[in-house]
Amino acid sequence: MTQVSARIGRPRRIAIDLWAVIHLVGSLGKYLGLAAAFPIAVAIGYGDPFWPFLAAGAITSGLGWGLERVAAHPDRRLSVREGFLVVALTWLLAAAFASMPYLFAGGEQLASPIDAYFEGMSGFTTTGATVVTDFDELNESMLMWRQFTQWLGGMGIIVLAIAVLPRLRVGGRQLMESELPGPEIGALSERIRSTARRLWALYAVLTGVQALILASFGWSGIDDAMTPFNAVAHAFTTMPTGGFSPEPRSIEPFAAASQWVIAIFMIAAGANFALLYRGLVRRRANAFARDEEFRLYVALIVIAAAFLTAQVWSYGIAGGEEAFRVGLFQAVTIMTSTGYATADFATWPILSILTLFGLMFIGGCAGSTGGGIKVVRHLLMGKILRREIGQTLSPESVIPIRLNNAPVDERTLRAIAAFILLYVGLWAVGAAVIAVDIAFTGLGVPGLDPLAISASAIGNIGPALGVTGPMGSYAAVGDVSKVTMIALMWVGRLEIIPVVVLLTRHYWRL
Amino acid sequence: MIACTSRDEVNLVAGMFARREAEHATTVIRTSSTEYVELWREGQLDVDFVVSSELETAHAISRTLGVPAARHTDVFAEGQVQLAEFDVAEGASPTVLHASLRDAPVPRDSKIAAIIRGDETILPGGDDEIAVGDRIVVIGSPEAIKAWSRLLWPEGGAVRDVVIFGAGRVGTAIARVLLGQGLSVRMIEASKEQALRTAESLPKARVFNATGVDPDFLERERIGQSQAAIFAMRDDAKNHYAASIAQVHGIPFTIAIAHEAVSVGAFHRAGIDVSINPRAVTAEEIVRFAHDPRTQQIVMLEENRYEVLDVTTRDSSRYIGMAFRDMPVHGSIIGAIVRNGSAIFPHGDDVLQAGDRVIIFTEAVNAPWVVEAL
Repeated sequence: MTQVSARIGRPRRIAIDLWAVIHLVGSLGKYLGLAAAFPIAVAIGYGDPFWPFLAAGAITSGLGWGLERVAAHPDRRLSVREGFLVVALTWLLAAAFASMPYLFAGGEQLASPIDAYFEGMSGFTTTGATVVTDFDELNESMLMWRQFTQWLGGMGIIVLAIAVLPRLRVGGRQLMESELPGPEIGALSERIRSTARRLWALYAVLTGVQALILASFGWSGIDDAMTPFNAVAHAFTTMPTGGFSPEPRSIEPFAAASQWVIAIFMIAAGANFALLYRGLVRRRANAFARDEEFRLYVALIVIAAAFLTAQVWSYGIAGGEEAFRVGLFQAVTIMTSTGYATADFATWPILSILTLFGLMFIGGCAGSTGGGIKVVRHLLMGKILRREIGQTLSPESVIPIRLNNAPVDERTLRAIAAFILLYVGLWAVGAAVIAVDIAFTGLGVPGLDPLAISASAIGNIGPALGVTGPMGSYAAVGDVSKVTMIALMWVGRLEIIPVVVLLTRHYWRL
Repeated sequence: MIACTSRDEVNLVAGMFARREAEHATTVIRTSSTEYVELWREGQLDVDFVVSSELETAHAISRTLGVPAARHTDVFAEGQVQLAEFDVAEGASPTVLHASLRDAPVPRDSKIAAIIRGDETILPGGDDEIAVGDRIVVIGSPEAIKAWSRLLWPEGGAVRDVVIFGAGRVGTAIARVLLGQGLSVRMIEASKEQALRTAESLPKARVFNATGVDPDFLERERIGQSQAAIFAMRDDAKNHYAASIAQVHGIPFTIAIAHEAVSVGAFHRAGIDVSINPRAVTAEEIVRFAHDPRTQQIVMLEENRYEVLDVTTRDSSRYIGMAFRDMPVHGSIIGAIVRNGSAIFPHGDDVLQAGDRVIIFTEAVNAPWVVEAL
């Protein structure tokens, strides 16, 4: 009897292996800190002080290394269960890393920890919302660091979309059908690693191509405002659908040619990267035409752009080529969740504003760096509704839902419905909190604005309306609103469900 | 070597084994999976012939739907020649009744091989007439057979819209063939899992998860408006009952799968228009291979009382060069010949040549003699 009771032991009620989580987060932090090498090089190049970046890198890597050492344990158990927490903590840590240089040397406008963390979270979630109002106060290396955090965030999203979200069944669909998830998250399978490497290479190459095209416009005199610095800075925030810009008026000061190029790269950034890989690298052009999600994505862009163009033209805001360009650019920037602007759409007529507000809820394609609900979820939700109506008439009819001709299993469909409900619910709660905060702080932001701010944060878009519009900043909103936005950006970026799972009792305890 | 056990894998292994042990033996394999048939067509399976009872049944049904008045149909020479067995009923066009065959407007490119009147079989000449109650065997081009179908059942048009009861392997195979011909197909399946599987594999079919005998369901979905119903459930009794209910709901044309041979008679008594026994269809297909190498195909009719053979003539046959009107009858009649790959429906003046493929209707007892003589 004693032997049996010894085997049974004391009750172990903790359901997750915290040490394993700490170990992996530490190990990721260790490598993340190395990314400080880039801004250090920029700072040296421009003669700016490089110690803020060195300190941020050293603290992050050191902390990561320490956590990894402390949690080193021979029989770590790392499974999908731990994966949720790893993902959630990693983004919090990355945002902290991004915020450190601002805090150390960002000057007055980023001196508050909440402001610095806001800017860091906005960077790593590729949102593009900013509290910076005076861009001249920041030196080149600090401005480039803002851009670079978004580029790093984009890389994180790609691996999130390939390796993590499909296992958690929240990605809308598995990015590549062959990459079936295994049981271990810590040891990414070789297939997943090689997919991630290939997609990262595509991401980096597209960024490089965009930077070269933009820089060549500067060199050739097509666009005098497009310095090499600006070319690289904007290339860093286009592919991750980020939207940070070192320019206070975003993309407005640049020439029409640059705006067209950026619009095209935003459209690419909002597409499924696995599809881009198949279409561009493997040269299967009909891959785009065959993909239902991509077709709907393009159709939505065309419709929204046409509608905005008509509005802009008829209200005399712009005409001719400029009307098309302004309409397309604003439709693409909001729908893909980038958040650039070539016009202050916050001052547009209400119908255009409502169009853009609606686009905030669409987002990019699954497997892109874009935020929002994602086109594929809208597509499948539409099919679910159509089936529901069909089955009202014929309750016995069996109607499998297909995506690109392959049946989608019911479990995934339920997850999509749950995602959309959670998304809308969190958006509404966030909007309510922001509205109350704004009412108390007496900022006097009217009507739609809290709704737009919340939608912009959870969709990782960036600009909202009014003073928080594309040419403004979030500097003036209260701390409660900022913290709410930080939470919304974080939750939205991680596709909600992995974070919400952490709030359940059974995640932690048996 | 014929491997026709109920298990596909056993048949497959037996076929492979036979090929290894006896290289020149002809191997025939029965399978219940259409996938093996596709593999064989792609040349992936080293056997001479693969017969799928599901696929043969599906093709038999597809032919029947093209000729709704026929009780039975079969094809020869890659579909250029068709055989059909019709029951002549009251609704038949009066122009073909009460007139000698010489004067009646029978479709071109076709020939009545036999008129079965009670126990008597008539191998018709120009003076014979068709009467109500006869069963006739017609050999002709597919168009001519369709024309016969219209003559004998003027109100039955081409079937465009069918409902299949049972979405198992047989039902799915039938649906796939019919969908491939552009027909509109609805399927009714009682098992939820099977219904979902079928719906997933056949995007163009509408699948319902229902028993098929629930009057509310049949009424709500207007099942009775379908032009034809096919009963492909696993249980003959269920097919029988569901077919009766469907007839009550107004489906004009019913085809049932009879897994047991005895059900064929019962189905006929129940007013089911066509019964198909997958085993008989498969056996016929297999028997073709067991015959004389010159015999490409054989069809058995009326419980094996008659056979239709597809035989290639020898150079030494004494009928070479003889006009058809001069040939002896001997309980057999030539329906069509295939010369250089195309079908000819011969008249009295045409002459038989060496190497012709002859499609000939004969009493089963005379079959060996007919093959010998040609």
